[in-house]
Amino acid sequence: MKKNRKLRKALAGIAEYALSIGTFLLIWWIYVAIKMPPTYILPAPTDVWKSLVKLFASGEVYPHLWTTTYEVILGFLIGALIGVALGYLFSKVRFLHDMFMPYLIFMQTAPKIALVPLFIVWFGIGLVSKVVLIISMVLFPVQAGMMLGLDSIPADVGNLMKVLKATKWQIFSRVEMQYSLPALFSGLKVGIVQAVIGAIVAEWMSGKQGLGYILTYASSTYNTSMLLAGIVVTILLGIFTYEVINVLEQRLLNWHTSQQA
Amino acid sequence: MSEYSVELKGIGQIYKNLLKEDTIALQDINLQIKAGEFISIIGPSGCGKSTLLRIVGNLDKAASGTIDYRDGANQQMGFVFQDSVLLPWKNVRQNADFPLVIQNKRTPENEKKLDDLLELAGLTEFKDALPRELSGGMKQRVSIVRALSYDAPLMLMDEPFGALDALTRDHLNEELLKIWSKTQKTIIFVTHSIEEAVFLSDRVVVMSARPGRIKEIVSIDMPRPRGNDTRNAPAFTEYSKYLRGLIG
Repeated sequence: MKKNRKLRKALAGIAEYALSIGTFLLIWWIYVAIKMPPTYILPAPTDVWKSLVKLFASGEVYPHLWTTTYEVILGFLIGALIGVALGYLFSKVRFLHDMFMPYLIFMQTAPKIALVPLFIVWFGIGLVSKVVLIISMVLFPVQAGMMLGLDSIPADVGNLMKVLKATKWQIFSRVEMQYSLPALFSGLKVGIVQAVIGAIVAEWMSGKQGLGYILTYASSTYNTSMLLAGIVVTILLGIFTYEVINVLEQRLLNWHTSQQA
Repeated sequence: MSEYSVELKGIGQIYKNLLKEDTIALQDINLQIKAGEFISIIGPSGCGKSTLLRIVGNLDKAASGTIDYRDGANQQMGFVFQDSVLLPWKNVRQNADFPLVIQNKRTPENEKKLDDLLELAGLTEFKDALPRELSGGMKQRVSIVRALSYDAPLMLMDEPFGALDALTRDHLNEELLKIWSKTQKTIIFVTHSIEEAVFLSDRVVVMSARPGRIKEIVSIDMPRPRGNDTRNAPAFTEYSKYLRGLIG
């Protein structure tokens, strides 16, 4: 019974999605059919679909998709790890927080696109400059989430661990990490979206690999249907990586109120 | 080493203040607590009773004085806080088992003892429940079992039933006495309820505020086991009246 209801709910969700996307595509298609704009300005959805199929059928998209995915995963993992470590350090050692937080905020408020040329000068046009950009975008939300998580642990939890004579590592691994997870995951979700954006932006600027390169290539050759198809692939990659984090959260936080539907 | 379970000698606590005069939170507290004794500390808010308990529990350092524990400086203690502080991702059994995990004491014998304690506290049916599924009273039972799980001879309780309704509180008081008589612990119990202190204790320590010090120690000579008859006895009313007069 319960499973049935769950399934019906999921199907209803998918139906809503399909209806909304279908309506959008229909309006787009009607507009193109009536107004007939030049294809380099707005191709019909069917043309975009053809480009999309061609990208995959010819196999030319795979190395680019793989490059971007690889950058996103690598940059996200490193950025998240540094974010957790910094969040922990800043929350435990107040003077480190006071000393280095201004730099982080400075880095965060600087427009990322402005940093890309700098990263290219420093780290070349290859993988490193892209991963560095992604790290710089993932780090901040993760670190902020980790700090929020640690700072919202009830004081008596610390007292309990003291009474039990727990070691620092036990406190971190058995209590602090779990307590931080809800806030940490909201940071990770922002981070993974930022990571995809960072990868695309970095690929625009340099190199001949990745989904971002497909976008600039399509744009410079006025192949707008390919451009839109590339954007669709980018969005799919974004949704997929976000969902991975989402599922992980549901798994790890099944005890938390945010996961009670 | 001490012949008492805990012996406090001249405990004082001062909070330094740059702008105003220093606050004397505790002054010259001397107290000897026998092994297996149930002792309550009551007093007006701000008299430093929780501060004193935190000092006994090594959560705060006293400005002056010494504490001798029966087992020396490494005395094992159980602490029950006003809030149950259960870990929300662990179920009842895992929460109660947590100290054994931390202290590497998960022997089959200890696990068996833990199950007996859960049974004694009426929690056996709720072993798999998460804290958010429990009422306030249930959570506090788990918290008490957790504090007992590693068999520390000394239990410190800081207004554990303060947030509960009167009926649940009365009921849990009886349960606590049952557990106490079975486990033979020394219990130091901080409360702001005079009736609770009289009902539970062998002795009641009355403190006064600013500076926090011991005003009087009252022995409660009422028969055990105690139950509803205790609350209805004339002596119970007499003790309550007397203590209320002391606190003023």
